[in-house]
Amino acid sequence: MLSHPARALAAATMLLGLPAFAEETVRISGWGGSEVAIVNGLLTNVLAEKLAKEGITVEYEPVDGDFSQFILNGLSAGTAPDLFYVDVFWARSIFSAGQAAPVTQDVSGFAANLLQAFTYDGKLFAVPKDFNALAVHFNKDIFDDAGVAYPSDDDTWTTLQAKLVAVHKALPEVDGLCVVPEYARFGAFALSTGWSPLDSQGKTVIDERFRRAFDFYTGLVESGAAVMAADAGQSWTGGCLASERAAIAIEGAWIISALRDGAPNMNLGTVRMPKDPKSGKRGNIVFTVGWSVNAASKVSKAAAKVAEFLTTEEAQQWVLEQGLALPSRTALADNPWLRGGQPEQMASRVVLEGLADDHVSPYFFGDVGGSWMQPINAALNSVFLGEADADAALASAQSAFDRMLAK
Amino acid sequence: MSRGSSEERSGWLFVLPFTISMTLFFVYAIIRTAFYSFTDYDLFKAPSFVGLSNYTALISDELFLIALRNTIGFSLIVTTVQTVLALALAVLVNHAIRARGLIRTVFYLPSIMSSAAVTLIFLWLFQRDGFLTAIVSVVLAYRRHILLFFAVFAALQGALVLNARRSYEGVSIFDPFFLLVAAFGALALVVTCALAGLLPVFENDLLISWLNTQRQFLFMPVTLWSVALMNVFTTVPTLMLLFLAGLQSIPSALYDAAEIDGANAFQRFRHITVPALRPVTFAVVTMGVIGTLQMFDQVAILGDAAPLASRATLAYYVYENAFPAGASSRIGMASSAALVLGILTIAVVYVQKSVGVKESAE
Repeated sequence: MLSHPARALAAATMLLGLPAFAEETVRISGWGGSEVAIVNGLLTNVLAEKLAKEGITVEYEPVDGDFSQFILNGLSAGTAPDLFYVDVFWARSIFSAGQAAPVTQDVSGFAANLLQAFTYDGKLFAVPKDFNALAVHFNKDIFDDAGVAYPSDDDTWTTLQAKLVAVHKALPEVDGLCVVPEYARFGAFALSTGWSPLDSQGKTVIDERFRRAFDFYTGLVESGAAVMAADAGQSWTGGCLASERAAIAIEGAWIISALRDGAPNMNLGTVRMPKDPKSGKRGNIVFTVGWSVNAASKVSKAAAKVAEFLTTEEAQQWVLEQGLALPSRTALADNPWLRGGQPEQMASRVVLEGLADDHVSPYFFGDVGGSWMQPINAALNSVFLGEADADAALASAQSAFDRMLAK
Repeated sequence: MSRGSSEERSGWLFVLPFTISMTLFFVYAIIRTAFYSFTDYDLFKAPSFVGLSNYTALISDELFLIALRNTIGFSLIVTTVQTVLALALAVLVNHAIRARGLIRTVFYLPSIMSSAAVTLIFLWLFQRDGFLTAIVSVVLAYRRHILLFFAVFAALQGALVLNARRSYEGVSIFDPFFLLVAAFGALALVVTCALAGLLPVFENDLLISWLNTQRQFLFMPVTLWSVALMNVFTTVPTLMLLFLAGLQSIPSALYDAAEIDGANAFQRFRHITVPALRPVTFAVVTMGVIGTLQMFDQVAILGDAAPLASRATLAYYVYENAFPAGASSRIGMASSAALVLGILTIAVVYVQKSVGVKESAE
C-alpha cells in the first residue's frame, strides 16, 4: 500500500504525463518454442510505446526445458522473475504455496471458464493469456483420394469411425487416426458422455459412461480406424497427420505451427470433436496458460501492469492475427480474422468454438496433479497392446484411483 | 618450525579443497536431507515435523516398493553382466594382434557418447516394429536355416578334428583352419537346401513391446530388461579399459611358466588372470553396484515412452516426489526415499566387500 505522500506523488506524475513507475525493470519469463516469437513480437511491435510511457523496462527471459521445475526452484530460492507463465496443469502448486499475487485488474472481458481455471480459494491468481482445446484436423486430399466424405461438425463417434475405416479400406497405406494412450486426448471422449473426472466427494469413479468411451477409443485400432502412434513411429497424433500416415489428428490449435513447418502444403480442414452418439453431447479439454505476478516481487505493481498490457484486446488481437495463439478475451471471438478462409483461420475458429462444448474440463487434476492420469493411461496402454482386457485394466485403474484419492 | 608440522600443514592444505566441497555438498546436504525426511515440506511453507510418518508412508506406497524391487533386480543383472562382458572383451582386445588400437577405439565408442544421446538412439531401436524387433523376426523366420547351419557346422568340425587327431597329437577342438572349412561346408549345405526349397521360411508380423509394456520377465519388468541392455552397452567399454590396464600389469613370465607346466588357455585364465585381476574386479563391481543402484537418467529420458511402474527406480522415485507433475513438491517423501537409497547403496557395497569379490589379490 502506498503512503499518502507517495500516492499524491504518483497522481501528480500521472497528471503530468510522466512515467508512473520511475524506470522500473520487470523480469518476465515463459517457456521457449513459438512462445518466444509471441512475447518478443508483443514487446517490440505492440507494447513498446505503452511500456516506455509507463517507465517500465521489460527483461524477457524465455526458458527451454522444464519450465515448472525452473519456476518452482526459482520461487523457493527467491530468484524467480517478477512475472511468469503458469500452466493450468501445475498452477495449483504455485497458488497453494502462496507464491502468486492475486490479480487486481478488471477481468470482465475474459472467458469465464478460463478465469475459473486460475481461481484458487476464491481468488484469481493469473490472467489467462491464451488457451487451446481439442478439435479434429484432417487432410482433405486423403479423404478425396479415398472417396470418403470429410469429417463434419455433426459427426458422432460412430460416424467418424466409419469414415476412418472407409479411408483405410480405400487407401491401405493410410490409417484413419494415430491414437495415443493418453487421457489428454481420450478424456474429451470420456467427458462427452457426461462422466466427470472427480465427483462431488473428490473420488474418481469408473462408471458405465466411462466404460463406453473407453471401449470406443480402444476399439478404434481393432476396427481398422486407427493405429497406435508409436507403431507408426510417431509420438503424437499430429505427427501422423503431418507425415500423411493418418487422415485425421485430434489436437489443439498448436498443430497449425507444427504443420506450417512439417507439411506446409497440406490441404487442412478442421471440425469440432465428435459427439457421443448416446448423449448427443460433445466433450473437450481446455489447456490454458496465464501470467502470474510473483508474490515476492519488489516491483509487483509494475509487473501487474505488464501482465495487463500483455493481455489487452489489442495485444491478443495481434497474437491472433499472427496465427500464434487463441485469445482468452471473449470479445475477440468474432474478430474478422477468424472468419477468413485460410486453413489456420478455420482451425482457430473451430478450436475457439470448442471452449463452448457441452462438457468442458480444464487440463488440471486437483492436488493429485498429473499422476491422476496414470491409471487411465496405463489402462489404455495395456488394452491397446493386448496385454489386458478392458475389465481387468479398468478394475486395476479403479483400485489405483481408490488408493490414490484415499490419501 | 619443525619439518613434521610443516609437512602436516601442507598435507591439510592439499586435502582442504576436497574437505570443503565434501562438507558443503555432502555432509551438509546429508544432514539437511535427514532433517527433511522427518518433516512435511513443499519448498515454500516452513517444514513441519511429522516424525517417522514419511518412512511409514514409503512402506505403504506401492510405487516405492515397485521401485525398490526394480532397483535391486536391475543392479544385480547389470553388475553381473557388465563385469563378465567387460572382462571377456578385455581379454579379447588384449589378445588382438592386428589393429589393436582400432579395436580398442571401436569398443570404447559407446562410452564416450552421452547417455541422453544413447537413450534416444535406443528409443528408436526399441520401437515395436524397430531394428531389434526386425532382428528377432529374421531369426524366427529363418530358425530352421540357423539350426541346420549350427548342427552341420558342429558335426563337420567334430569329424575333421577327430580325423586329424588320428594322425597328429594335440589338434585343438577349435582349430581355426577346420573352423573355416566347417563353416563353409555348413553354409553351402544350408544354401543348397534353401534353394531346393527344403527349408520353410516362417512368415511373421512381429511387434515386440520392448519399452512400452507392463509385462514382467522373471523378477523385473520387460522395460527394465531393455534398459539393462542399453546400460550394459554404454558401461562395458569403460570397465573393459580398467580390466585392460589390469591385464597389462600381469607379468608374462607367469603365463610362460604355466604354459611350460602344461596349463591350457582356460587354466591359465582361471588360475592366473582372474586372481591377478581381483583388485580391478573389486573396483569394477563396486562402481557397477553404485552406478546401477542410482540409475536415473536413462529411465527419466524414457518418459512417457514406458509406463511409470515398469521403469520406476529408487532414484527416479526420489525425483518424482521432489518434482511431481502438476502437484506440490513432497520433499519429505523424496528425502526419506533418498536416504533409503543411500543406506541401501552403502549396505550392498559392504555386503559385496565382505562376501563377494575381495579387494586384495590372493
